[in-house]
Amino acid sequence: MRIVVAHKWAADPQEAVVGADGAVDWSRARPAVSEYDAVAIAVGRQLADASGAELVGLSVGGPTAAAPLAAKAALARGLDSALIVADPALAEADSAVTAQVLAAAVTELGQVGLVLTGDCSVDRGARLTPAVLAGWLDWVCLAEVSAVRWDPTGLSLERESDGGWQSLTLSPPAVLALAAGAVYPPVPGMKDVLAAARKPIRQLDLGQLGLELIRAPLLLAAAPAPAPDRRGVVIDAMDPALAAAELVARLSHDGLTWEGRP
Amino acid sequence: MPFHLTDEQEIVRASLRQFAETEVKPLAAQLDREHRPPLETIPKLADLGVLGMTIPPPYGGSGTDYLSFVLALEELARVCATTAVMVEVHASLVATSILRFGDQAQKTHYLPELAAGRLIGAFALTEPGAGSDAAALTTRAEADPDGFVLNGQKIFITNGGFAGVFVVLARTSPAVGPKSISAFLVDRDRPGLSVGEPERKMGIRGSSTVSLLFDDLKLPRSALLGQLGQGFAIAMSGLDGGRTGIAAQALGIAQGAYEEAVAYAKQRVQFGQPIARLQAIQWLVADMATEIEAGRCLVYQAADRQDRGLPFSDAAAKAKLFCGPMATRVTHSALQILGGNGYTEAYPVERMCRDARITEIYEGTNEIQRLVIARSALR
Amino acid sequence: MTWINYVIATGRPVEGLVERATAVGGGPVWGLAVGPAPVAQRLAQSGVERVVWFETAADVPAEALARGLAAQVTARPGLVWAGRTAPERVLLGAAAAALRAPVLTDAVDLWLEDDRLVARQAALAGRLWLTLAFDRPVAILLEGGPAQADQPTRASVEIVAGPALTHPLRQVDWRPRGGAPVDLKAARRVVAVGRGLKAALDLGLIEALAEALGAEVACSRPLAEGLGWLPKDRYVGVSGQQVSPQLYCAVGLSGQAQHLAGARTADLIVAINSDPDAPVMAAADYILCGDLYQLVPALTEALS
Repeated sequence: MRIVVAHKWAADPQEAVVGADGAVDWSRARPAVSEYDAVAIAVGRQLADASGAELVGLSVGGPTAAAPLAAKAALARGLDSALIVADPALAEADSAVTAQVLAAAVTELGQVGLVLTGDCSVDRGARLTPAVLAGWLDWVCLAEVSAVRWDPTGLSLERESDGGWQSLTLSPPAVLALAAGAVYPPVPGMKDVLAAARKPIRQLDLGQLGLELIRAPLLLAAAPAPAPDRRGVVIDAMDPALAAAELVARLSHDGLTWEGRP
Repeated sequence: MPFHLTDEQEIVRASLRQFAETEVKPLAAQLDREHRPPLETIPKLADLGVLGMTIPPPYGGSGTDYLSFVLALEELARVCATTAVMVEVHASLVATSILRFGDQAQKTHYLPELAAGRLIGAFALTEPGAGSDAAALTTRAEADPDGFVLNGQKIFITNGGFAGVFVVLARTSPAVGPKSISAFLVDRDRPGLSVGEPERKMGIRGSSTVSLLFDDLKLPRSALLGQLGQGFAIAMSGLDGGRTGIAAQALGIAQGAYEEAVAYAKQRVQFGQPIARLQAIQWLVADMATEIEAGRCLVYQAADRQDRGLPFSDAAAKAKLFCGPMATRVTHSALQILGGNGYTEAYPVERMCRDARITEIYEGTNEIQRLVIARSALR
Repeated sequence: MTWINYVIATGRPVEGLVERATAVGGGPVWGLAVGPAPVAQRLAQSGVERVVWFETAADVPAEALARGLAAQVTARPGLVWAGRTAPERVLLGAAAAALRAPVLTDAVDLWLEDDRLVARQAALAGRLWLTLAFDRPVAILLEGGPAQADQPTRASVEIVAGPALTHPLRQVDWRPRGGAPVDLKAARRVVAVGRGLKAALDLGLIEALAEALGAEVACSRPLAEGLGWLPKDRYVGVSGQQVSPQLYCAVGLSGQAQHLAGARTADLIVAINSDPDAPVMAAADYILCGDLYQLVPALTEALS
């Protein structure tokens, strides 16, 4: 059996520069294995070791996803091999398109019992890709999973839900999105880095998958988000009691009330 | 000369960056304040494979190239110079000396322990009357029927407070000249070794710097590292690579201070605008960035030469001669940008200023580097 | 062609989402209720035209019905609307794939124009606003929550059963976590705390202030995920909760873009921080620069 971890090579939007015309300059940003995907790889490694499965990393994206650095950085986190679908048509892919391509690649790969993903990608953060992917595969999907245990009979899961802890069982195949805090992913060690250089990397051509990609929405305009329209009133906080009184007075003036106050 | 890092080196840097940010940086101010070595970090550095970067896999190390090791030192020093020098002395001076000059038994015995961090190494060269002038060493190892008897004193021994093994340079012949010195591997538990109180220092305060006293310390013949009379060559060989390591430490300190200064300049508002918009600040930042980049080229080039098996003493000396004073200048420029805040312990820059200064002194002062460079230039 | 607007409900209030779908969707609004009977009954009174109910036994999570829900929407395509909780997202994803539909997330505004759905999307952690035009069908992930306006109680509409296609998924246990579940989206006032708090024990200070203000306690990501001082459902940010309270009081919280995007629509923001240069200070209505350990107790005192 194979366990696939879908991971993304992406940069933190905090490092992007948004121009006055809405153009985004990514040149200063350094892409990396998206933060939460590292959690999925770490969980995948544990499950693969427990089940004897092969752990395959699957990354879909623009041409940068095909950089050897991108594959090796993910492999160094514990994957057995890497599968990449990189194409200029996927450079700006959103959750819908990414999920569609991921699903086709999972099918093409074959013998996949489980797909793991992080909670969300660092660049888009839509938290929808695993759900759409499961939809394409017609597999069961669960998000915010905090623990997964492998049994011969199926999978046991834990997650935080409705103010409590939920224990679940399911039979594979399944798509699981791991909670951000499911495990603390270890930093790749020096031996892992060197071992990654010897692991197999395979590229899948997008054309080979024979997909009619979901039509992206039409971009009508882009602009920097407007600066928050806030009053910016500085209340002198030298004397905490006086500052507190002034704040309370101002909030009252703004129409807020609370017990014991008009 | 075109220069770019391999994928593996990029990943090593990213790993060390993450490790340094999460495991090393949070301790840095505390180690400095408490004059305490980062003992709790040692097992983590071992797990990550950093303590064994200069040790090949057959001996339990991760066996990366030297440039990767230099990147690791740079990243550690960027947040904590104390942690960086601990690793540098251990993996560069000590492990490399044993790897190059040790016999099979010594390599099999010591290297796996060093890679796993169960044993930390220290390098004992300096004496009260012999710093840069190795020929003036007075610690002596006299041959006796069972091996050697060691007597004398060493000072400023980094990692000395907790090291399990010391590479000790001692005189084995009263004659003058490089062949009169030999190197020995001295275990901490040998009777006759006493370790002094840690020095109170201006910077790298967490680093354990101690004096050692050898009082009729008996060593078996098997403690001799390399050949009799090879000690001077061993010391010089260790210090060559070590210089690149200290240059990387200086580079990391400068980079850390630079980043603090840039972040501060963007946020600190004076006269109605972030001070980063003031040309006075911009010029400081531009000079800092340029100097750091120049230093980086020298450091990486020296490490790269070492990896390629090319002569690198001269390149290492140049890297250290440039980066030490560069770190002093850059950290002080950073302090200037942070102004009064920078002078307080609430910000890390004052510590970085103090830490930077030692890189102009240890493992060969600026003046010694000039001697090495001039000797090569005028040959 | 008339496009149906499907609103997915799994138990959380979705009246707000029904309002948006009704105002924007340009077609009849149907509810897709996934869960036990009360979920369908509540949805039937929320203003939808009809409810398609996917009944689940008590030990079957809503996600198990994704397959049936997908079959329902493909039978009659349209716009599918859902909130941001884990089961809502899974059901929306199943619908999106079944419809081969593009997805819309992080919309700050949306409207119909020339028979297309046009949306302003907050991209790049809220730093970039894109205007996007979608051909229908579309899957829309939007903060749901209770109704915006005070709505009169409505008569219940017809409830019909949806296709019973399920995935093999069972809940075997559920243990309550100490403390009641919180719905920050519904909170009128929120006190959010960040890394300025030195220890978990000091949360008492924040709770006291929240109590005096009649507010819920929230936090930044590191407190919920790294430190684990507060449960995950109290973390505000792009990938956490998105709140629209009357008052958002940010205490010891630097205010990275990812966090502030979660509180963007608060009516009033108060920032209490020792760092005058923290980004939160530039995004607040009232700014108190000082030690939270002095200011918070003083404020609690002034309120009681």
